[in-house]
Amino acid sequence: MSTVLALAKREISGLFYSPIGYIVLAIYLLFVGLLFALLVMQPGAIADPGPMFQWNHLILIFVVPFMTMSLFSEEYRSGRIETLRTSPITDWQLLLGKFLGAMGFYCVVIASSLIFIIILSLFGRPDYMTVLTSYLGLFLMGLLMVAIGLFFSACTQHQILAAMSSCVTLVALGILFQAISYFLGAALGVSWAWLRTLRHVLRYLAIEPHMVNFSRGLVDSRNVVFFLSGAGLFLFLTYIVLESRKWR
Amino acid sequence: MSQPAEIVAEELTKAYGKFLAVDNISFAVPKGMVVGFLGPNGAGKTTTIRMLTCFMPPTSGSARVAGFDVFHDSLKVRSHLGYLPENAPVYMEMRVAEYLQFRGRLRGMDRSRLKERIAEVTELCWLADRRRWPISKLSKGYRQRLGIADALLHNPPVLILDEPTVGLDPAQIRETRKLIANLAGMHTVLLSTHILSEVELVCQKVIIIGRGKILAQGSPEELKQQCAQRGAGAKLVLEIRGPADQIRSALAALPGVDQVRIISDTTVATLELTGKLDGALREQMAALIQQRGWALREMRSSGASLEEFFVQITDPGAAAAA
Repeated sequence: MSTVLALAKREISGLFYSPIGYIVLAIYLLFVGLLFALLVMQPGAIADPGPMFQWNHLILIFVVPFMTMSLFSEEYRSGRIETLRTSPITDWQLLLGKFLGAMGFYCVVIASSLIFIIILSLFGRPDYMTVLTSYLGLFLMGLLMVAIGLFFSACTQHQILAAMSSCVTLVALGILFQAISYFLGAALGVSWAWLRTLRHVLRYLAIEPHMVNFSRGLVDSRNVVFFLSGAGLFLFLTYIVLESRKWR
Repeated sequence: MSQPAEIVAEELTKAYGKFLAVDNISFAVPKGMVVGFLGPNGAGKTTTIRMLTCFMPPTSGSARVAGFDVFHDSLKVRSHLGYLPENAPVYMEMRVAEYLQFRGRLRGMDRSRLKERIAEVTELCWLADRRRWPISKLSKGYRQRLGIADALLHNPPVLILDEPTVGLDPAQIRETRKLIANLAGMHTVLLSTHILSEVELVCQKVIIIGRGKILAQGSPEELKQQCAQRGAGAKLVLEIRGPADQIRSALAALPGVDQVRIISDTTVATLELTGKLDGALREQMAALIQQRGWALREMRSSGASLEEFFVQITDPGAAAAA
């Protein structure tokens, strides 16, 4: 466990030493601020930060890949992977350490949006329990997003390639699947059974429907299971990629 | 083998697709010895080392390090091993002591011991005054030393160093060699290099590898003898005051001399002889030179060096052409 924490600590401090960490933080704050100003902070509106959380994933889709791109890629490129994998640590410890480190930084990023809750509380009385479940939702979604980023970072030694692949995957989950299922439902009038199934599958895989409940103060086990199992799947895939690299 | 061996490779093979990078090699490194692992670039040194350090599994064959199998007991091997990879990759944004702290925690060292060892290894590797420095500000030589300090951190019985003196200036190279030579006895060291003088200076045993196979192994003296026995390696340089052409034809006529080459031809001629140049022949030469009225200024043997041997066995084609 202490080796996992040592790896995680190094990963977090690595992000804070590099400009990438601060750029990610600044861009996230800028866009959350826009959501806040356009959707929440309206004269006469109720003090409900819900929309800010419901659409938060649209920002994180483009932010998380830049946090995770270097996790393994940079180790491959610099050759440090050799010092890591010849240390007495297992592959699970290595990848969990990296995952925890990136999650730690992710938590700092989403926590930075607390500033808007504070501003809101100066003008009204938001429901703090809803705020809490919203952050829980963001955290669970983060597990999935960071695991996806970690997976693509383990696949290549090129950071940009890792960032682009995870970005494409997250855009699919966050925007595309939902858009396609929407058009399938609306435009085609859905008469074929397989098309209906496809629509359901796509809608289940999309991120936004899973975030709505959290931003309304509802913790639904189906949503929790979705994020946890997704994260677990990608961590396992990462492990497979790490293992397979040995044999090449 | 009389001494217990700390590193044993048995029929180790690594294939990248159809290409055999390491082809069925076996060797042993006795405890407490510094062994040079020598070969031209691309000979399979790094691949062999990566199998010994559990970075990748062998295609076939097995290896034991510190008594543990690299495949079945890989975690134990890794905790008994200090490894300096080629180019000593480190985290540029960290500070020296911070990096060593991180590396120590990966090896499960506790705080107090780690603190002690960081003080010791930074002292040993001449890094004591750089402990607070960011690694990115260190020169290549210092980074290399940091890599060695990292390999020594947990005081492992076995050290594997891949080209530890690459990129260092001559003074640093000398210091690093001294450091490695001092490690003998306490640690078993496998030192990969393609610099021959390094091996002659610090190693008690040499393993020469080329195109994935072991070409020769033994102590540097043994290898030199082997080389002298082959004959072709031995060369004699003579400095004689007299007419160069006449001297050459006179010497070439002696039985046992294969070739005479004029190196310089002024009032003093310098010639290089090859052939089976044993003691009797050299006496005969001296007598001949005196008899003809020339003056012998110097006679010394050159060649029979490891370098000669190395070039010969790793690339027979090039040796024949020379």
